[in-house]
Order: sequence, then structure tokens, then C-alpha cells
Amino acid sequence: MKHLQLPKSLKVRVGLAGLGIFILLTIIGPWIAPYDPNYTGFAQNASPSWNHLLGTTIQGQDVLSQLLIGCRSTMVVSFIAGFLATIISIVIGVASGYVGGKADEGLSVLSNVFLAIPGLPLLIVLNSYLPAGQQTNPLVIGSVIALTGWAWGARVLRAQTLSLRDRDFVEAARIIGEKRVRIMFGEIGPNLLPILTSSLLFTILYAVGVYTTLAFLGLTNVSTWNWGTMLYWAQSNNAGLAGEWWWVGPPGIMIALIGTSLALINFGIDEFINPRLRAGGVSAKIRRASGAPRRPRLGLTPVLHKSTEAGSR
Amino acid sequence: MTDKTILEVQNFDVDYGYGDAAVRAVSDVSFTLGASKVLGVAGESGSGKSTLVYGLTRLLREPGVIVGGEVKFHLDGEGEFDILSASEEEIRKIRWSHISIVLQSALSALNPLRRIGREFDEVLRVHDANLSKEQRRERSEELLALVGLRPDRLRRFPHELSGGQRQRIMIAMALALRPELVIMDEPTTALDVVTQREIVSELAELRRQLGFAMIFITHDLSLLVELADDIMVMYAGQIVERAPAKELHDAPRHPYTLGLMNSFPPLHGERTELEGIPGSPPDLKALPTGCPFSPRCAFAMDKCRQERPPLVLEVGTEHSVACWLHDSSYQGAVPVELSKRLAKNSGGAQ
Amino acid sequence: MKLLLRRLGLYLITAWVAITANFLLPRLMPGNPIEQLIAKLQGRVTPQMIRAIKLQFGQGLNQPLIVQYGHYMSGLFHGQLGESITLAQPVSQVLGGEIWWTIGLIGTAAVLSFLIGTTLGVIFGWRRGSRLDAVIPGATFLQSLPYYFLGTLLIMFFAAKMHWFPIEGAYDTGTQTQGWNWGYILSVLRYSQLPIISIVLSSLAGWMLGMRNMMVTTISEDFVLMAVAKGLPRRKVMWHAARNAVLPSVANLALTIGFLVSGSLLVEQVFNYPGVGNLLVNAVGNEDYPLLQGIFLLVTFTVLGANFLADALYYLLDPRTRVSGQAQ
Repeated sequence: MKHLQLPKSLKVRVGLAGLGIFILLTIIGPWIAPYDPNYTGFAQNASPSWNHLLGTTIQGQDVLSQLLIGCRSTMVVSFIAGFLATIISIVIGVASGYVGGKADEGLSVLSNVFLAIPGLPLLIVLNSYLPAGQQTNPLVIGSVIALTGWAWGARVLRAQTLSLRDRDFVEAARIIGEKRVRIMFGEIGPNLLPILTSSLLFTILYAVGVYTTLAFLGLTNVSTWNWGTMLYWAQSNNAGLAGEWWWVGPPGIMIALIGTSLALINFGIDEFINPRLRAGGVSAKIRRASGAPRRPRLGLTPVLHKSTEAGSR
Repeated sequence: MTDKTILEVQNFDVDYGYGDAAVRAVSDVSFTLGASKVLGVAGESGSGKSTLVYGLTRLLREPGVIVGGEVKFHLDGEGEFDILSASEEEIRKIRWSHISIVLQSALSALNPLRRIGREFDEVLRVHDANLSKEQRRERSEELLALVGLRPDRLRRFPHELSGGQRQRIMIAMALALRPELVIMDEPTTALDVVTQREIVSELAELRRQLGFAMIFITHDLSLLVELADDIMVMYAGQIVERAPAKELHDAPRHPYTLGLMNSFPPLHGERTELEGIPGSPPDLKALPTGCPFSPRCAFAMDKCRQERPPLVLEVGTEHSVACWLHDSSYQGAVPVELSKRLAKNSGGAQ
Repeated sequence: MKLLLRRLGLYLITAWVAITANFLLPRLMPGNPIEQLIAKLQGRVTPQMIRAIKLQFGQGLNQPLIVQYGHYMSGLFHGQLGESITLAQPVSQVLGGEIWWTIGLIGTAAVLSFLIGTTLGVIFGWRRGSRLDAVIPGATFLQSLPYYFLGTLLIMFFAAKMHWFPIEGAYDTGTQTQGWNWGYILSVLRYSQLPIISIVLSSLAGWMLGMRNMMVTTISEDFVLMAVAKGLPRRKVMWHAARNAVLPSVANLALTIGFLVSGSLLVEQVFNYPGVGNLLVNAVGNEDYPLLQGIFLLVTFTVLGANFLADALYYLLDPRTRVSGQAQ
């Protein structure tokens, strides 16, 4: 196994830093929030000031406090959903790819069916049938999201398992007589790691998206703060039309930022899996320093006469 | 045939990467190629043989960089063409019409989404706007006939053809514009032995008919012996031996050449015991001082590990070799394998 | 052809799963949501309506599930989706009236976004290493913005503030009447601009980034180098690569359509644009289960249909899928 080192890619570093900040906010958000997010006694519709860095809502609530406290609920549900979905996709994807045959066909159809059903409408239907109290339970809502979001990961993992199954080292383990389960998790597992991570990040990304969307639709308990419910209140009070950018903007930008961080990490994993995406390790800076054109041109290998300039002309 | 020179290469150097990270992949290569001649380039993978020809045609991909030398083509109607200082458009014009190339895997060299006919049509149209659609089709069929394929193959997609058919199509396409030079990058490696043999003899025949010059890259020396006029053996980006094909085959001078010859069965004739070369191809990032082959060489001496041998032309012959064993300063006896003429494979076994 | 039939089979199974889930969910969900709904509705709607709901969800009929299922399926085949509680109209009629707005809006936006995104991806992939690479982080951010949020921002700046576009609705209800007249058509076109721009902007970056990666991967293929070696002009070389690189994007279309439709439905809500999305949001808010179920089925079938079209497109674009009968 390769050791984890600080990744070289700038994209991955930025992504990891971003994710780190969000995890930190998840933990300390409620402590550093300056006010009670439900307190309605401040000046209404105030634009940002020193007392209220992100202004106030139409009800006179502090936007920054809502934003900081809302981080936890958003992240917790998304991570629960992401991990649950990944577990389902591992079980189904790896088993399906490794066992093969009829079982594989059945499981593949199952994943493809879940892939083809549009997730959000299904989720809305499922969610609207949930008993009222359950809609606020992060575990329940996380599970429901996981149920609609595992199929993509299962498909990718299945394909990778299939390609790994017939490699030499797995074959060797089989000949030695290791148990199937041990081969699946001991030999194949570690080699699935990059794809697994990428699939986990994608699922979390998906979960952030759908959870905040459900909240935006008012389908979760609208009195618990998350970025979706903030947008729900902003929308139902026409904050956009009134030009209250400090209220509408921050929650949406937070959603986009967490999404960007996760996507940037995934870019790095993509480059790890598919080396062709790496720029050959040559940055534009190095090329220019050497006097080569900034950008490689296919079919025009650069010529740098450094040793024998001129020669005999 | 005249003694006209078609390609002149002097002190050609190619790096992978830039600045401190650069690795020398082709080092100080010089040679000339006469019109209608066949130059074989042999070596293991990583010897720099492919890098050399892609560099010469400036097709080498990132992070390859040409860092020294001169490359001059003497092409009909173009005069002397300095490819290293030419503009992209100038190079584009000589490509395929004067210099064409055949790659190792025809399957990946053909656009999988296009019918064969369209590929022919496109290359003919781009280089000669005066040809009518009908003329281009006729020419395409003519070219297929040249390599023994039926005209209906033009309607096929690459995946519908066999490996041999695909490679024949690539060869036919390479000849489409009657170039003076065709570069063959291991064109038969991906094929089975029978097809390999057929294609090599077809190539020899085509060359006799059409008179193009060829640079033929392979790791299979025995194949070159039948096809090439001259053979150049490369190791770690350098030429280690160069000689007329028969001369090299009968009397290899470099221990590496000998090793290569023993790694492949002759294309015709009996199977002899194959030995192979011990050790693995060199790591270009960490070449040993002295002769790069010395760590794998059975005859390596102290001097080999300290000083790199220059490529020296043997007096009175066309045979050059870069090996201290054949240097005039060497006092000892040259090992018997490298001093005699090998009789066993010459002329084919009866 | 076999491949297409297989996909068709898969979509039929998927449709069946969706239909069955629609049947089972309200009946098997813990807490009996239908009973609660009926309790809430007592006295607020007509007794006929209550009876219709009971009939549709099998409340108090004492029929075994399988019999109910049979009734449900046969009703579905006759296009019966029940009565909308809030609109007091058959669901099929409600949906039939609104679906065209949605198909027009989302269909146009999806096609535009695929075409523009893919073209940009080809150019950016081809010019990899140039200054154009600088847009990647920006595109990633754009891709992460929720559709409805971007819609809100656009309304805030370009409609409410700059007055470049109308704020909401599908046409100017004050001056125009529905029908085939120029005033109405132009008004519809004008009102659809900003919603379409929202959807295109939100979904564009995904296509672009995917296509760029595929382009970069494809350029390292031998046949692209061959195209250069053949002395083709750069434009033609790029075309060789692009034509191949677009295949995975088309293959992914099927996957992405579901996301795209889901995201776009909410844009309708933000713009108060008529259509299925708007109905969906209202149905959810009012616990209008029959309407909700109808929308779910409709959206699912539409997405499956679009998936099948995407598969057929792939089949047309890649001759390797057509191998079998001929050749050899």
C-alpha cells in the first residue's frame, strides 16, 4: 500500500483545506455563532454591519448565526447519507462484480433501475409519506437520501472490481485457497480505495444537494436551521426580489463552496486514476523558464537549442 | 537508383522534461539515409528508437523536447527542408505527402468511428484539392489492391477487420501520396508470426516497386536482416552499432547486438536456442557512468565502467561500433563470439 | 440493436418498479400517512372526494393487497391517476395541461446546455495548458451552485434590479391571451429567457468539465497523433478527437438527465413558472398525495423516455455498438 503523503496537486490541497474548514465549522459552528439564530429582536432587513456581519432577516434574525449553526445539520445529514450510501454501494457493487453470474445480473439491474429513477422526485415522495416527527431525524432523512443515491457508486465499484478480479494477485490468493470474503476485502478492497473515495465524495456532494433542496422546499422541519431552510425562508419572504443579497447569498454560496471543495478533491483522484489527465507534470511556468512555448502543441515538438547553439551554418 | 541522400541527422538530442527534471532519451545520434534505402533501427523498449523517429518528425508528444542537433530532409521539389526550424504549416505540408508513418497498433491508429474509405478520402483531399471524389475513390481502391485487399473493405469500420487487414490498410494509407520516406514503428509487433512474415515480404516487394525509403523500427533484429540495407542498434538513447544489414548479422561487434540476435528466432530457418539478455533495460534517470550497457555486459571491463566508448568506424568498412573491446587501445583478445563471422544463420538454413 | 432492446427492457423494469413503489409506499409506510391525511381532510372537502381518496389508496376496503394492486394497475393503464385534492380535477387532466410548459422549458435548456457545454469542453480540452485552464475552478464553483439558488440570484440582479427580464410567470398575463398569436408567442419566448439561462448556466459546467477531461484523454490516443502525422489541418485533427470524446458524454446523458430534470423542476418554482415543478411544490405543501404520485410517475416516465433517446443517440454515434449481423 502506498503511504498517504501531502498531495502535490494544488486542486486537491485547496479542496482538502476547504473540506477541513467545513468540518471545523460543523464542530465549532454553534459555539462561535454570535447570537441565537431564532432571536427575532434585531433591526429587520438590515444590511451587513459590524454587529451583524451578514445582516439580518425580515424577522430581525442574525444571518451569520443561522449560517454557522446551519452548517452542522447540513453536514451531519450529508455525511450520514454519504457513508450509508457508500456502504450499500460497496456491498452491492463489489459483491456483484466479484461473484458474477446470475447474482451479478440481478444486482446490476437493481443498480440500473435506481440509477434511472430520478432521485429527487422519489425522495420528495418518500419524504412526504414520512411521519411528521421523523422528517427532522438526521438518521432517518440521511437513510432516505442514501436509498436514492447509492446506485452510481455501486456501478463504478462493480466495474472496477470486475477488472481487478482477474488480475494476478487475486488469482494467486484464490489458488492459495484464501476465503472469498478475505479476498474481497483483503485483496480487492485496498485497490478499490481511490474509486471508493471518489464515490464517497460524490455521494456526499449529492446528499448536500438534495438535502438542502428538500429543506428549500420546506420538506424538512423548517425551524431547524440548515442552509436549505435559510433559503426556504428567504424565498418565502421574497428576499431576492427585495434585493436582500446578504440573506439570499451566503447559504447558497456555502452549498456551492462545500460542493467545490469535494469536487476539487475528486479532480485529484481522477488524475490519480487516469494519469493522462495529469499535465505530464510540466507546468506552464517551467516550460516558459526553459524557453519552450507555454502550451504543448500536438505535432510540433519544441526545439530548444541549448547545447550546440548555431553550430555550422 | 542514385546515391541521393534523403535524410541527414546530426548530433540529435532529445530530452523528456525540462530543466533539472530533464532526462536524456536520445543522445548524440547522427546518420544519413539514402533515397530508396531501408534503415533498420533495433533495440529493446526504452532504447530510444521510437523517441528518435518521433523526434525527427516532430511528432513526439509532451514532455519530449528536442534539445540539440540538426535534421535535414532532402525531398523532391522541396529542396533542403530543415524540420527543426520549420513552421507548423510548412511541416504540415510535407507530412504524409513526403513522410508518412505506420504505427504499431493499427487498431488504435485508425479512428474507430470512421469507415476506412473516409480516412483515405480525407488524406487524399487534404493534400490534393484537385482530385474529384471519384478519383479519390479510385485511388483508394488502387491502394487497397496494392496490399492485396478487396475494394469493399473501404466500407468497413476498423473493428470489423482483422489485425492483419488493419495493418495492411495502414501501409496502403502510408503510401497514398507516394511519399519518399515511410517510417514504420514496429508495424508487425502486434501480429501473429505468419501475418508478420507475409507483411514483411509484401513491404519488401512494395519498396522494390515504388522505391520509397524506409526507417523500420523493431526490437526483432532477425526481421531487419531480411528487409534493411543498414541496421542501427540503439541502447539507452545512443547508437551502439551500425553496419550494413548482412555485415551486422554475420559479424555483430557489440555484445548488446549479439544479445539481441540471440533473443529472437530467425524469421526463416531453424529455431535455435534463445538466450535473451540478462538484466533489465536501463533507467534513463540513473545511467551508469561509462558504457550504459556495462552492468548487463558479460564482457565488461574496468574501463567500460569508467568511460563511455565513442562510436567508431572500423577502418576500411562501413561498420561502426561503440565498444571498448573493439577500440584500438584495447590490447586483449576480443571474445570469440564478437570477433568471428557467425555462420549458423546466414543465408537461411537449408 | 440487441443493446437498444436491452436498455428498453431495463427501462420497462424501472417503470414497473416506480409504479409499484407508488402503490406500496403509501400503504406500507409506518404511521399510515393516508389515514392521517383523511383525518385532516374531514369536513374540508366533499364526501365524494374522501371516498375517492379512500378508493385510490385502499383505505377501509378490506381488500387484500394483491387485489388492490390489480385495480391500481388496470386504472393506470386507462390513464387514471386519481383526483387532485387541492385542484379538484383529475390528476391526468392537471398534468396534461402543465407538462408542455415543463417540456418546452427544460427540453430547450437541456439541449442548449449540452451543446454549449460540450463545445466549450472540446475547446478547453484541446487547448489544455493554455490560459483557458484558469476557468476550471470557476466552472467547478458554478457547477456546485444549486439551480434554484442561481435562479434566485439572476432574478435578484437581472430582473428585480436591472429590469432586463420579467420577474416571474410564463407570459404577460396582463396583456396577452393564450393562443397562436404573435404577441403571445413573443411574450412566452421573452418570459422563458431567464429561467432557461438559469438552467443552462447551472448545468453547463458539468458538461464542460466532463468533456474537457474526455478530450484530454482522447488526445493521447494514437489515432489523433496519426491525424497530425497525416498532415491534416488542426481543425480536422480536433474534430477527430472531439467526435470520439463526445461518446462518454452521450453515454452519461442517461445518468445526467435525471439530475437535470430534478434541478430544473425547482427553477420553475423560483420563477413561478407554470409546469410540473411548480405543481410538485404545491402538491408537497398541500399534501396532495394523488397529484404528487401522478407527478412522480410522469417525471419518471419522461426521464426514462429521455434516457432511451440518449441511448439511441449513442447507438447512432458509435458503429461499434452496431456490430453483429454484417461484416467478417
